[in-house]
Amino acid sequence: MPAERPIRLVVRDDDLRRSRLTVFFRLFLAIPPLIWLTLWGIAAFVVAFLLWLAILIEGKAPEILHDFVAGYVRYAVHVYGYVLLAADPYPWFRGRPGYPVDVEIDPPERQSRWTAFFRLVLALPALLLAAALGGGFYWGSTSSSWGTAGGEEDVLWSAGSSAAGVAAIAAFFAWFVALVRGHAPRGLRDLIAYAIGYSAQTGGYLLLLTGRYPTSDPVLAQPFADLPEHPVRIVVTDELKRSRLTVFFRLFLAIPHFVWLALWSIATFFAAIAAWVAALLIGRVPTVLHRFLAAYVRYATHVFAYVYLVGRKFPGFTGRAGSYGVDVEIDPPTRQSRWKTFFRLFLAIPALIIEGALGGVLFVVAFLTWWYALVRGRVPEGLRNLGASCLRYSAQTYAYVFLLTGRYPYASPVLAGRKPIAEQLAVPLPEPLPGDAF
Amino acid sequence: MLIVGAALLLPTAVPDDLALPSYDIADVFGSAVIEKARRYERFLYADWVLTEITLLVVLWIYSRKGVAFMRESAAGPIGTGMLLGMLGLAIVWLVQLPFRVAAHWWDRRYDVTDLDYLSWVFQDWGLLAGEFTSICLALLIVMGLARWLGDHWWLPGAAVFVAIGALFSFVAPYLDFGATKPLDDPVLTEAAAQYERDYGLAHIPLRVQEVSADTDQANAFAYGLGPSRRVVLWDTLLYEPFTQGEQKVVLAHELAHHSSEHLPKGIGWFAIFAIPGAWILMRTTRRRGGMGRAEAVPLALLVVAVLQLAASPAQNWISRRMEAEADWKALEVTRDPASLEMLMVNFSRTSLGDPDPPGWTQLFLGTHPTLADRVAMAHAWNEPAGH
Repeated sequence: MPAERPIRLVVRDDDLRRSRLTVFFRLFLAIPPLIWLTLWGIAAFVVAFLLWLAILIEGKAPEILHDFVAGYVRYAVHVYGYVLLAADPYPWFRGRPGYPVDVEIDPPERQSRWTAFFRLVLALPALLLAAALGGGFYWGSTSSSWGTAGGEEDVLWSAGSSAAGVAAIAAFFAWFVALVRGHAPRGLRDLIAYAIGYSAQTGGYLLLLTGRYPTSDPVLAQPFADLPEHPVRIVVTDELKRSRLTVFFRLFLAIPHFVWLALWSIATFFAAIAAWVAALLIGRVPTVLHRFLAAYVRYATHVFAYVYLVGRKFPGFTGRAGSYGVDVEIDPPTRQSRWKTFFRLFLAIPALIIEGALGGVLFVVAFLTWWYALVRGRVPEGLRNLGASCLRYSAQTYAYVFLLTGRYPYASPVLAGRKPIAEQLAVPLPEPLPGDAF
Repeated sequence: MLIVGAALLLPTAVPDDLALPSYDIADVFGSAVIEKARRYERFLYADWVLTEITLLVVLWIYSRKGVAFMRESAAGPIGTGMLLGMLGLAIVWLVQLPFRVAAHWWDRRYDVTDLDYLSWVFQDWGLLAGEFTSICLALLIVMGLARWLGDHWWLPGAAVFVAIGALFSFVAPYLDFGATKPLDDPVLTEAAAQYERDYGLAHIPLRVQEVSADTDQANAFAYGLGPSRRVVLWDTLLYEPFTQGEQKVVLAHELAHHSSEHLPKGIGWFAIFAIPGAWILMRTTRRRGGMGRAEAVPLALLVVAVLQLAASPAQNWISRRMEAEADWKALEVTRDPASLEMLMVNFSRTSLGDPDPPGWTQLFLGTHPTLADRVAMAHAWNEPAGH
């Protein structure tokens, strides 16, 4: 699927090493590129308006204008790849292809005049999701677009939500890890790159580089993202069809589950304390407690999959393994480090914060899916898979909190691991062109 | 046993030989008020009829087709039954929505309510959420018992519902969540204390609910059991056009409900209806495998709706007897029939209640005696033979 998209994220660099010095001062170092990006964004907005007129008249964008805006989108990807620690080299100021986190954009294609005419409105759902993902595209471009469309408050809103999105939060934690260990955590890097990729698609759509609507399917990240073995895994066997009636009343239909989940949560609280004490004493969680807590995590995942429209069917009340189309597999109990067990709640704080941010994404996914499913009677696969990915992280986080595993939650958005592609590794950066001073 | 129970619950303080005198209601209520109230209520009656027809038709169709929604469930039989129950209510809610909107529009047109449409929508969604919760609880009990006891579920099932009804009656006043505040009127408080002594009641707290921002209608109610007993007045009753004499009549009326143990008796009546109702439900759902199976739930919804409609004349008749008793006892302690009469006139003006509605509406909707009959009772009490 990624190869078919007219705007594709390319991660050329599997090197996660980061210079501690540049990481520490990353935001300050990024000031010049950000200023340049803003100026370029203003120009790109003006050119995008010309593109809009050209497409309305001729049905296709002139190549020169297209390339100018495409260069801007590419440069935004580079800058945000740098700012959000998805890449380490300082980005060039010309947005040339070849940066470790890059984007490929197809030449101009014919576009529907109707969708071009209403582009700003049509892009709103994608902008909403991009804001929740916080890929950072908006600082330079759409903030000015929004400013024109909706006034100054919208600019602030767009920028603010971008800063508080999942990518920004992931970058915040990646910053600490990179400072301490000298390399970025793989899962967080993949998540950030995915968010940047989605934002690039959205920006490209908004700025009329393509008529293809952005897809949020995490499969886009599959060429570069890893999914290592983890004791807590999500299994999606659900179909995409949805009953409009159950979609319309979804929140209300979940009321009995909310009640049951609240009651079960009380018991889980005490069970988790017991599991914590037991794990400190004997080095592992007793099987009976492990089974109880695992059922709770599974049940909560079933319920939230249903509420957020990721799952189709009304779930059962027992959290039985294999009983739901969006299910969680949890491995049996194993020995765990007593130190990590003792400090589990503190250790889980970063994961809980990221899980909260992904909860925001899940909310947006559900909101958009709700409308889509009411009209079409099915859910978009991309949104469904993104929702499943968020649920996977949530399940892993709570499994970690409840001591079902000692493995930290893995933030990569993909639902399936990539096949090793040797040629993708260690691609050298292209040499600067003569006269390429910046 | 049910007949004996009913016989024990039926007697009231109203003299058996009380004959309501006839009079010209236009002289008391005024022709203009009567005409306006009739115009207002005529529309609501038509709306109610259409709503009921829609309910029965939709549930009839759902009882035949609703089983198809089982494919939307990955839960066990009880969970699936809950889903089918909620979906049945959801469809009814959707189909009845235009009638409810029309009724609200009509209320606003006649200034009976000031509630804007947005607040109304939220209120309506809130009610739906409450209905969903209730039906899930009901199905959990019925299906759980049916799976355990088979066809014998109906007797313990009815008992459980009666117990829940009693429990809810008891705890409801404690679930106030700040919706009411204590009555701060020394004259009314003192009058209420006097009535409590007259009735032989222990102290019962008086509360006020602020509704005047949304409606001009006046209302009051008694609720709670034993130590949780309360009387609540809408704040609209405390302002013009209602006089202090009328407010005292209202207080005496509500305290009379507690004095005559109408709430416990109401639970007793509920039991009398619930037991045969549960039995009928058990019998009619047998052909779908009984209430232990989710397939029976759509049919059960239809059966319950039909039973409720069929029982409503009898239930309303019982309710009217209780209200008449409370009126009579209020007259006995206030000795102020003129205030009762004016209270009814003002009810007609503020709530646009038709003093003498068509008989069929009293049959299906009349939980209180007509305003005309209540005024007639005041006249009857005032006559030498009345007291």
